[in-house]
Amino acid sequence: MRIIKLNNQIKKRFIFLIIIFVCFSSSIVLISYSLKDQIAYFVSPSELYQMKDLDDRYLRVGGLVKEGSLKFENNIWKFEIIDEENKSIKVEFSKTLPNLVEENKGIIVEGRILKENLFIAEIVLAKHDENYMPQSAIDKMQEDGIWRGN
Amino acid sequence: MFAITPNTLSTFLNSISKYIVLLMILLLGFSAILIILLENDYYQGVSFKILFIHVPAAWLSLLIFSTMGISSIIGLVFKSPTSFTISRAISPIGLIMSIIVLVTGSIWGNLTWGTYWVWDARLTSMLILSFIYLGHILLLYSFDHFQKADFAASILAIIGLVNLPIVKFSVDWWTTLHQGSTVFRVGGPSITSDYLITLLVSFFALFLLCIYWFSNIFYIIIENRKIERSKLLNQ
Repeated sequence: MRIIKLNNQIKKRFIFLIIIFVCFSSSIVLISYSLKDQIAYFVSPSELYQMKDLDDRYLRVGGLVKEGSLKFENNIWKFEIIDEENKSIKVEFSKTLPNLVEENKGIIVEGRILKENLFIAEIVLAKHDENYMPQSAIDKMQEDGIWRGN
Repeated sequence: MFAITPNTLSTFLNSISKYIVLLMILLLGFSAILIILLENDYYQGVSFKILFIHVPAAWLSLLIFSTMGISSIIGLVFKSPTSFTISRAISPIGLIMSIIVLVTGSIWGNLTWGTYWVWDARLTSMLILSFIYLGHILLLYSFDHFQKADFAASILAIIGLVNLPIVKFSVDWWTTLHQGSTVFRVGGPSITSDYLITLLVSFFALFLLCIYWFSNIFYIIIENRKIERSKLLNQ
């Protein structure tokens, strides 16, 4: 008799905890779903072109540095950011670039759109990916002909 | 877990602690040698080696929080004092691990991204995790009776479980400056096997350090309670 009573109490406490947990997690899910545009750290160039009212809006654009576009002219860094859909935007930046900014590697720029297709960056961050490998592994893959990077 | 009293667990942990220390020292030395001998990353150079502290500490801070949450659920549902004591002893270790993650991460970020801190989803949710650890510890020590403190802190630990999938999947759900998952991801690890082995060795070394630390804190909590009880009896 005592065991059955204990089981009921255990069940009650368990249901109580599940209710607490479900309430909190659903509120978190709703908050993060409604704020998903704010939580996203950057937009891609193709998302940028779909946005309206871009005048003087401070935002972040991210993608890869387009191959052959990184130049240093008149003390200004000029490059293009390209995304998976092959949309690109020209960027100008007048400070020192982070060490890891290279062509065909990830980058995030923070600033304003000056005019059609020209972005004036105030902050540039290098975004590296989740692949780590030594140079010897790359050499071996290039020998075998399975290397698909730059 | 319900049949084990805090005393027996404390005695058990004490009896195996010297083997844990021995294995931990071996693994720590082994992982240090491996990290020094490893070739640098082709893109990031030597700065990528901070990964072998950053990632194990990150895994452990998530693992410790899930242990804390599950033992809080067991403690609340089955009224088990052992579970409450486990989550009380494990919480400071998780806080230290999450601080290690934030500090090593911001050093690494400054070397590669070019900034110590940004408010992207991964970094912010990790900061929230360390604040929940801090709140858990503060709750544990803000009541006169430890049973009341255990109850309140356990509720916080269970609510905090919501944050774990957010930390883990933030890099997949939203665009972030932080890179995606390397090891636990769809399509297998994107890391060469020598790096992966080093990562696992350094994880187990840090894991054993946490176990050893946990057994010490657990022992201190149990002994303090014995002293307090005997004081009450002598009055």
